[in-house]
Amino acid sequence: MAKHELDCMFEACPIPLLKALKKLNTMEIGEILIMRTDHNCSIVNVVEWAKKQGHYIDYIELGEGQWEIYIEKAK
Amino acid sequence: MDFKDRLLKKPWPYWMGGIILGFLNIFLLFGTGAAWKITTSFLYLGIGFLNKLGINTGSWYYFKTYGTGLGEGETYFNNGLMIMAIAMILGSLISVLLASEFRFKKIKDRKQLIFALLGGIIMGYGTRLSFGCNIGAYFSAIPSLSLHGWVFGIFMFVGAWIGSKILFRYML
Repeated sequence: MAKHELDCMFEACPIPLLKALKKLNTMEIGEILIMRTDHNCSIVNVVEWAKKQGHYIDYIELGEGQWEIYIEKAK
Repeated sequence: MDFKDRLLKKPWPYWMGGIILGFLNIFLLFGTGAAWKITTSFLYLGIGFLNKLGINTGSWYYFKTYGTGLGEGETYFNNGLMIMAIAMILGSLISVLLASEFRFKKIKDRKQLIFALLGGIIMGYGTRLSFGCNIGAYFSAIPSLSLHGWVFGIFMFVGAWIGSKILFRYML
């Protein structure tokens, strides 16, 4: 299964969310998007948005104030 | 996830933040008689440094016409808004330390630097035309039943909508 990576480090709202939206549009169903961010708003608004869109989403905190978000495109 | 984590690490719901901000706004207005503003403190910093460099901003049309809004006995570096700005930065620092999420953020690349500077200049210029940012001209204005807060609010949403279209189409 294809994986896509998106580097959103040092970027603030709404850049990570818009980047994810744009990237997901180009992806096939079932593919995974991995986002890396240090912006704590992203683990709220990206997660809320992806859930609302019906995608599968999860995230982990890699270290203090740094996260990896995983989105599987569902439709 | 225990209570401490929920309190310190998870963002509070919007409605709770709204209620707390509403009460703080009332206390601030009641206690100090002044509304909360942010960008005006940047203005004071800017003209404070310009005056130190020997540039007389007092002769500029903008300040001659509208004044600086400083209270009696206040200076560009020592005034109520500056204390609020410093307190806000300290408060943010405390909350991010409590959440163990403190990090130094780097500049990603030259493009980010240029767009940030350009955006900052446009926003700063805009706040002087509208006498405030989304705090001074919106958050502080609407509860004071001032019409200009609503006008500011409508055009802020128009601007944010256009801005996100431009961002999405041309910059990402």
